[in-house]
Order: sequence, then structure tokens, then C-alpha cells
Amino acid sequence: MIHLDCDDLFDTWRQQARRLLSHEIDPSLVSWASEGVIDLFASAEDLPEGHGPFQARIPLALLGILENAARYRGDQRWSLLYEVLWRVSHGDRTAMLAGDKLGSELQRRIKQVQREAHHLHAFVRFVERPADEGPQYVAWHEPAHDILHSASEHFIGRMGQRRWLIATPRDGVYYDGQQLIHQRQCPVQWQQMAQQVDDPHGELWLTYYSHIFNPARLNPKVMQGHLPARFWKNLPEGVLIPGLISQARTGKQQDGQASGIAGRAGKRIGQGSAEK
Amino acid sequence: MQLIDKLSILADAAKYDASCASSGAPKRSSEGKSGLGASDGMGICHSYTPDGRCVSLLKVLLTNFCLYDCQYCVNRRSSDVPRARFTPEEVVTLTLDFYRRNCVSGLFLSSGIIRSADYTMEQLIRVAKLLREDHEFRGYIHLKTIPEADPALIEEAGRYADRLSVNIELPTALSLQTLAPEKQLGSIKQAMQTIYTGVQTVLNEPRAPKFAPAGQSTQMIVGADDTDDSTILHSAQALYGDFRLRRVYYSAFSPIPNSPKSVPLAAPPLMREHRLYQADFLLRSYGFTAGELFKGPGHLALDMDPKLAWALENRAVFPLDLNRAEASLIARIPGIGLRTTERLVALRRQRRIRYEDLARMRCVLAKAKPFFITSDYHPQQAEVTSHLLYQQLRDRPQPQQMGLWG
Repeated sequence: MIHLDCDDLFDTWRQQARRLLSHEIDPSLVSWASEGVIDLFASAEDLPEGHGPFQARIPLALLGILENAARYRGDQRWSLLYEVLWRVSHGDRTAMLAGDKLGSELQRRIKQVQREAHHLHAFVRFVERPADEGPQYVAWHEPAHDILHSASEHFIGRMGQRRWLIATPRDGVYYDGQQLIHQRQCPVQWQQMAQQVDDPHGELWLTYYSHIFNPARLNPKVMQGHLPARFWKNLPEGVLIPGLISQARTGKQQDGQASGIAGRAGKRIGQGSAEK
Repeated sequence: MQLIDKLSILADAAKYDASCASSGAPKRSSEGKSGLGASDGMGICHSYTPDGRCVSLLKVLLTNFCLYDCQYCVNRRSSDVPRARFTPEEVVTLTLDFYRRNCVSGLFLSSGIIRSADYTMEQLIRVAKLLREDHEFRGYIHLKTIPEADPALIEEAGRYADRLSVNIELPTALSLQTLAPEKQLGSIKQAMQTIYTGVQTVLNEPRAPKFAPAGQSTQMIVGADDTDDSTILHSAQALYGDFRLRRVYYSAFSPIPNSPKSVPLAAPPLMREHRLYQADFLLRSYGFTAGELFKGPGHLALDMDPKLAWALENRAVFPLDLNRAEASLIARIPGIGLRTTERLVALRRQRRIRYEDLARMRCVLAKAKPFFITSDYHPQQAEVTSHLLYQQLRDRPQPQQMGLWG
């Protein structure tokens, strides 16, 4: 049994996998540590020296697929990829396809990774900081997979020349107006900046959120499907959700108006005078 | 009035418009540029409200003062609601603030009709123009188009907005006459034609200034009168054909405070709206026609999705051999979607499809089982009558406890 640690880096894994494959070492004989956790039953056999005789041929697309799937945090993170690589390089391309047992797990991981990147694009909330040399906008986010670096490029196009920072419990990114800097271990200073920022104008968004909701169409199940509860705690509107749900339930709401609006004095308009 | 008060009134007034899409815009980026915002054709849902609807854009009315008296509308002139009016600058401020926070991907602006259709349209355009020109905003803009406005104004709007929409409101001229007496089907379709022509004119002219690159959409209110689903979907089909609409949105009539007697007091079942969206999807992406889904007037079944209902009416087509059938037919099997169809076609190039492959592809096997054949599977249910299958496959609602006060 060969036991390897790639420090959860795709490029390192790729070098190791190439070496293994060139010696045609069967996937059942290799395991990788992930997140620093070492296989209990691993014995200390090393990667074979030098490149072996086997010339692996794989489709170009496979590399991108493997890199994407590698961002998934979970069991067998790296050995699953090696198994796919092994089968494809031995002529079995179904290992990449959703119809196959291994392929479907591979595709599921890619889908989860893409979904998590999309969650980043959707649910990051920037707060403006007082003017100084550092970031102008900061956000705290807790992604479930290693998507921060690749997915946060999205914000360069969105935010233009502004300087922004996204801190997570693990890694962090800072865009200084010109380039994106990724730190595998998010500096404590970044984390504090993102978590301890004042937001004096946050009320406007909360007001919008509670008034665009139609209580007559309450459907919390659908909402939770799209906006998993694990994100609520980092979304400013998250604290409003339980209240809005219970208000809509107990009110036996028949129409769509928010209660704050229903209580206010209305104004009928005479014909031909609808101008303030 | 404070900005926050206006926002609460004018967001509340805008919630009855179902559309919140921010997709279909061309690629724009602010990387290395002054200004703000990007678009890449993909919409982003930045939040969800507890009604399960996505929040993608800042969706507000410029004002909810309105000269019209559309019976189904909370903002009609005879409605007793608090009124407010934003200045164009205020809408710009809000849009940019929410955008920088990453709360929205752009703006969806509509308005009650004040003074005149042209005046109202000019105000809407002014907001878009301020955003695009003064603030170099590259995010998504959707402008509601006032049908009676001068075509020249609609053309101007198309140069700033990614999407324009004219609400058809109700599926027939007669319903419109009864419930929205100030609106006319003629001018609504005229406005759609103006947008359609604008989009077509720049279609193959890469150098021409952009015109509503994300196309146009419309909204129909369902359940405000007794128009049936067949009429609704035939009318939607005609709109897709005549004006190349990107989307028709169906908005279940939502009862409003101080509802006039001309409209129902209760909402139609939300399931009806859901079935209409499913059927609409079959029209847009699966190659179905409205005539295939309806044999005559009537509603879609509430207890069964329209594809399954169609399959039960057309048993002669089934069971289909997944190893041989054309992709467009595979997509017509209930429980098998477009994505699964693609995957099946990719897989069968490599090897023959087996029953267990389907289980892995996350299709709805219970629905699909009677309708396909694989190399190791032939459905026992192939001979079962449609009526019996209907009994087995229809949705059974969970028993519900009644409210204490009925």
C-alpha cells in the first residue's frame, strides 16, 4: 500500500498520479491523506522512483474535469480521481460519464463544486469600510468546498477598480484593484476585518427584502432548497426569515401586502389627477 | 418622505410582477475600468424570500400613483394604498448600493402611469440613462414598457435596457376590456412589435448599438377571471411565435386589500401556476405545441404534470427503446428531462443502456418506468390501461389539517 499526501493541492496530486500511472500501480494499492488526516492502515511505502514505462493517453477534457472535481471536500477526495484516471487511461471512458457508478460520483462532485461556486457569487455580501489604504469592501463567507480562489475572479468584473476582500475560516482572497491575492491560510487580520465591520446603511436592504416577499404565497420549503439554512447566519436578511415565515403563517394571510404597509393611510386617486 | 419609507411602499407595490430574471445579457465586465457591474448571460439569484421566489434584481416601481383602474392591480387609482414616488436619482442610488453589496445583479423598474404614457416612459428611461451613462453601470437593467408610449421612446429604452417587457396582463381582448378598461390589446401588441423590430434590426449587425439584447418578456395574470389554461397557453404560443418573446410569465392572481367585486376574493391554487410553467417549458424547450397538450378547451390537470398527462393520452408512442429512439422523443418520456436525455445519448455512444443507468441519473423512475425499454428491461406496465396508470401515478395531496378558524 502506497500512502501519499498532496497537501490538498491539485498540482501536487497530478505529479504523484502521473508517476503512479507510469508504473501502472493499481488504484487499490494507493491512498491519499486529505485535510491532514492519514489513513489508519497506511504503511510507509513510497512513491516509486522515476517515471515508469506505461504511456498513458487521456482525453484533454479529463484534466479539467479532474481539477474541478478536486475542489470537492470529502471522503476519498484524491483516490477517487486516481481511479477515474486509471480507468480512462486504460480505455474505459465511461468512468467520466454520469451513467457509470464511479462516473456518476465524479459528476456529482463536479456539480456540488459548481453549485458552491454559484453560492459564492450569489450569497457573498460586501460591506463598505471606512476609507483607508486597505480593502473598500469586505465579506465573510463559509464555502463547503475549495472554490474560493477560482470562483472569486467573478467579482473582479463586477466590482471594477474597487478593492475588496473575502475572508473564510480557511482561505482568503484580496483584490487590490489590480490583482487577486489568494492566501491558503486566511490572515487573522483579514478575518477580523470581515467579521467586525459596521454597516450603518444596512437597513435599506432589509426593508427591501421584507417588502418584496409575498406572504400570501408562503413556501418555505422551496426557499430552503435554493437558499440552504447554513447560509442564513452570514446573510443580513437571514435573521428576518423565521419572523417573516411565522408572521405569514399565523396571520392567515389572504393578500400579498406586507403588514407594515397595510397599517398605513392610503390614498385613492381622482380621475385625471394622478400627479403628485 | 424618507427614502426607506418610499422603498417599503414601492417594493411592496412591485411584488406582483413575477419576473426577476437577470439572464441573457451580453458579456460585460468592469475589470480595469471605471464604473461598476458585469453581466455574463447567466442570471444570479442573490437571495430567496420565504415565498420561494428568487431575488435577482432590485424590483421597484418608480411610483405607485396610477391613472389606470385595472381591477386586479393593487395600485389601481381606486385602491386605498399608501402612495409614493422615487426621483430617478433615488432609484439610481438604491441600485448602486444594493449592487455593490452583491445583493442584486441589477434593476427591474416599472411604474404606475402618471400624467401620460410618454411622460412615465421618459422617467423610466431617465433612470436607465443615468445608470448607464453617468455611473457606467454594466449590470442588468430590465425596463417595463408602457404600451401606449411613443415608439421612439421604446426604441430609446431598448438602447439602455437589457430586457424590455410589455405586460399582456390577460390572455384575451375580452378579459382586458372587462378588467383593465384603459388598456388595449392592440397597443400592447404594437409595443411588442416595436421591440421585436428593434431586436431584429440589430440582430446580424455586430457594430450596431445594442438593442434589448436579453429580448422581451411578458406577464399574464392567471385566475383573475375564468379564462382556461388552454386559451392561456395557445395565447402564449402565439406570443412566442409572433414576437419571439424570451419568456411568458404566469402570475397567479394574488388577492389584494380592498379587492373590487370584479375579481375573485381567493387566489387560484398555486399548483395551477406551476402546471402552466411546466407546460410553458414543454412549449419552449421540448418541442411540444399547445395543440398537443389540449384536445379542446379546459385546464391542465392539477394532480399530474403535463408531460405525464400527454404520455398517458399517447400510449401508442411508448414504450420507447432508449438505445434506439431519437433524442427528441426520449425527452418526451415522463420523468426524463433534457439533461438526462443528453446523458443517455452520450452514454449509448459508449455502450448499451441498462436499467440501472437510469436509476443513477436521477430521473424520476416511478414516472418513467412504464414508458421505456432498455437492453435488460421491458416494462410490465406497457399493457396496463392509461386509466389504471393514471390512478397509480397521479399526485396525491398530503392530508391537511384544517385551520382552526376555517
